[in-house]
Amino acid sequence: MPGQDAPTDTRLRLTILGGYLGSGKTTWLRHQLYEGRFGRAHILVNEAAETPVDDTLLQQHASGLTLLAGGCACCAGQGDLLGALRQICNERSQTDSGKARLEHIVLETSGLADPAAIATAIQADPMLVYHILLDEIIVLADSVNIIQQLGTERLGRAQIEAADRIILTKVDAQLPSAFSAVHATLKRLNPGAAISAAIRGGAAKSEPDPTAAPIDIPALAELSRLPAIEPTRLKIDASVDWAAFSVWLSALLHARGHDIVRVKGVFDTSVGFLLLQGVRNSVQAPEILPPSATRRANEIVFIGRNFAKEDLGKSLSYFSLSGG
Amino acid sequence: MCSACGFPTRPGHWTDAGANTAGDRLQLKFRRARILNKILNSYGLAVHDDGRTPGIQLRSFTGRTVIVPDLEAVWSEAEAQTGTALDPLDARFLRAAA
Repeated sequence: MPGQDAPTDTRLRLTILGGYLGSGKTTWLRHQLYEGRFGRAHILVNEAAETPVDDTLLQQHASGLTLLAGGCACCAGQGDLLGALRQICNERSQTDSGKARLEHIVLETSGLADPAAIATAIQADPMLVYHILLDEIIVLADSVNIIQQLGTERLGRAQIEAADRIILTKVDAQLPSAFSAVHATLKRLNPGAAISAAIRGGAAKSEPDPTAAPIDIPALAELSRLPAIEPTRLKIDASVDWAAFSVWLSALLHARGHDIVRVKGVFDTSVGFLLLQGVRNSVQAPEILPPSATRRANEIVFIGRNFAKEDLGKSLSYFSLSGG
Repeated sequence: MCSACGFPTRPGHWTDAGANTAGDRLQLKFRRARILNKILNSYGLAVHDDGRTPGIQLRSFTGRTVIVPDLEAVWSEAEAQTGTALDPLDARFLRAAA
């Protein structure tokens, strides 16, 4: 209208939250929602495996939550993601003018997604491009494991390169000198991104030594020989108790921590439903989930490479003493 | 404790999480020792848990006993003694399971 300021962009803002498997995306997002960072945001959670657990953790603080399970949103699950976004846009357009409209979407990608591919797909969609404005790509990186991921995973590299903002997580598990070297390495890979630090989802002090040298990581061509990592779902039958499972899993992760990049699931014990969260060979002290998580109990997802899917179940049954 | 994310959670090693009461913990220790021995015996190792001594007693075939705090330490010590990581996906376990 003449005489008035130009209308501000009324498109729905989208934050893409990416980062490798086990980088702490859900922990971070849950804490940020609790602190009100994204306001009345609608949360979209994508998990590559068919057994989602992240939504159980998030729904208590979100105004709306859509779960996209069973396919990574940057490739196999892209249609589902675009469909969900269109539906959100439709509902928003139909909101009465007197009511508060949804202004923000946060998409938590799966650990296997390339956030840039998702952003590209939204831009290429003839409807969404008019309704959604990509606000920021935030990529979380596990400060302790990121150098190894960058050296072995093409995807880890792509995620860091796509970020507007990089948040180094779990920095309390690292010496300041190592943190400075990681910081310098990421700065060299993506000089444009702001880099900060977090512990258990909350902001942490980030004072890297500006003179620290970046760590050399292999050239991308050397990464192409590795087999792709894939999710495997292991259903735990009633004959396997916590004693057997914990002995078996601790041995498996000790021997194969480099190949099994992520373990996630809920295990039913006499104490309650334990949420298992492992990254390579380190497993968090399990959190006890509310009984509403029961529908997903005793299904554990393994994401990794260099093992036959059926061998997990066979091996576990040997350890379970069910054979005597 | 942060009411958003529930940290800190249970103390101790993650494998000790599945038992809460003293009775459950004792049962877990004994059952765990049986399972461990099924694996370790084929490597010339054994564990012993009397239910009173904290930790797990790992005995090598020479009779030397080491007390380790948790399962992770069992596997590290077993690897150090045998020179190889005990891999649950090793053919010997998969064959035995079939």
